[in-house]
Amino acid sequence: MNTTTLGLRRGWTEQLNLWSDRKELLNALAGTVGTYVILVLFIGSANVPGTSVSMAAFMTPGFLAFAVFATGLTALPMLIAADREEGTLMRARTLPGGIRVYLTGRAVTTLLTIVLNAALVLLVAVPLAGVGAPATPARWFTLVWVLVLGALAVVPIGAMIGSLVSGPKAAAAMLALPAMLLMLISGVMFPLESMPGVVRGIAQVFPLYWQGLGLRAVFLPDSVLAAELGHSWPLGRAAAVLGAWAVGGMVLAPWLLRRVRGR
Amino acid sequence: MHDAAVRVRGLRMAYGPVQVLNGVDLDLRRGEVFTLLGPNGAGKTTLVEILEGFRTGWSGEVEVLGENPARAGDAWRARLGVVMQSWRDHPRWRVRDLVAHVAAHYDDPHDVDELLAALGLTEAARNRAGVLSGGQRRRLDVALGIVGRPEVLFLDEPTTGFDPEARREFHLLIERLAGEEGLTVLLTTHDLAEAERLSERIAVLVAGRMVTCGSPAELARAVQVPSLVRWEDGEVETADPSGVAWDLHQRYGGPVPGLEIRRPTLEESYLDLIEETRAARETATVGGTR
Repeated sequence: MNTTTLGLRRGWTEQLNLWSDRKELLNALAGTVGTYVILVLFIGSANVPGTSVSMAAFMTPGFLAFAVFATGLTALPMLIAADREEGTLMRARTLPGGIRVYLTGRAVTTLLTIVLNAALVLLVAVPLAGVGAPATPARWFTLVWVLVLGALAVVPIGAMIGSLVSGPKAAAAMLALPAMLLMLISGVMFPLESMPGVVRGIAQVFPLYWQGLGLRAVFLPDSVLAAELGHSWPLGRAAAVLGAWAVGGMVLAPWLLRRVRGR
Repeated sequence: MHDAAVRVRGLRMAYGPVQVLNGVDLDLRRGEVFTLLGPNGAGKTTLVEILEGFRTGWSGEVEVLGENPARAGDAWRARLGVVMQSWRDHPRWRVRDLVAHVAAHYDDPHDVDELLAALGLTEAARNRAGVLSGGQRRRLDVALGIVGRPEVLFLDEPTTGFDPEARREFHLLIERLAGEEGLTVLLTTHDLAEAERLSERIAVLVAGRMVTCGSPAELARAVQVPSLVRWEDGEVETADPSGVAWDLHQRYGGPVPGLEIRRPTLEESYLDLIEETRAARETATVGGTR
């Protein structure tokens, strides 16, 4: 069996094993969906300045983007750090093609977690924030590639971080603050128009901004463009930046993982 | 086909200022069970991990199945089986799922159910790896190490924490594997009895140096400490207890009262050897010759 197929199957088994632990499953879901509901209830009622779109609707794609980002850059490193502590990563190193299989497996579990989270958030978003399903086939297509590319942009880097920190607690401590900062400056919860130019520039280097933008283009009416930088959806640029992070990470991560001691 | 499974010449390795391996030579023939014996901290695990290709930064010559472990690829790795110390990976996976998953990494793996049966894991097949007993977990580790039909199997202190029965079962298993499959096994342990029982050849590693290497009998000779001859009026330590007894017989003109000859066990010899090597090393260090 080739390493890709084996990795896909590994990821599926891994996810079933995780889901069969009800406590972990509930924790993961309540964390994401619960936070979303609280945010919408507290700050969602006003309109985005200069548009007729509610903050709740504006925030929904941003929250989805952040959920993807946090799954890849916080949850995944913690899982990998735990795998390393337990010796799962070391086991992978003893098998031919083991690291590739392991990483593919982790990519699969991350994607499955993202899809499940996205589905649940959207399920709540329809009644709560008045967000509708994507209006056209083109927008559905955008939804898929933004989610997939956005995940691929962060998964290898998350894997890299997970392989460098000493344990899951260290991973959580190290990542929570930068993730929050990036969330604040990336325009996922509040329109970026209100930020100073330097901050906007920094935000646009990271994948979170582009993923938020891509998802807003999917779910929000074009009337919200008044609050976007440049008043347009530069989806080509979004794809390019996300793609660059994905490719860069995929080249770097396996190389680094092979060099880090597994225990 | 290359005759040597493992060939090591002048292997040195340091962690910072600490010299862990100090010019080690080692040869393993194909199909033999070889034990690396030594006290904790002697460098056994470091040596094995270099052979497995998990450590870099060493100097010297190392060949495992004809390749340099630091540079060998997946095709080489597929010919090795690795059982490390105290593994507790994949705790949420069911035993059979995990063995089948690992098997799928190889071209011609063992039949998973047959292997589980051979290792006495059939009843635990649906259990999660995290809830296995120590002995079961170790057998699972061995199953994962051999499922790909390796040519060389590395076992790092495989029976640490086993009760006597689990240890015995494990020994039978290794003997069976070496006998039926022609597997080359490199085993590390600090248990001399285990080394004697399982292997054709034993090497003793102390403080990063190979002190001696040979069959258990050769090892016993090489490390022989004097026997003790004791009788009613005295005692003497000698390398030739039989000769001393003969002299005593002559002197007493008949049976020697209370004669007793104590030959050292292999274990005493081994402990003595470790002690001597340590003492010599410390003297050398204090004397500033290094």
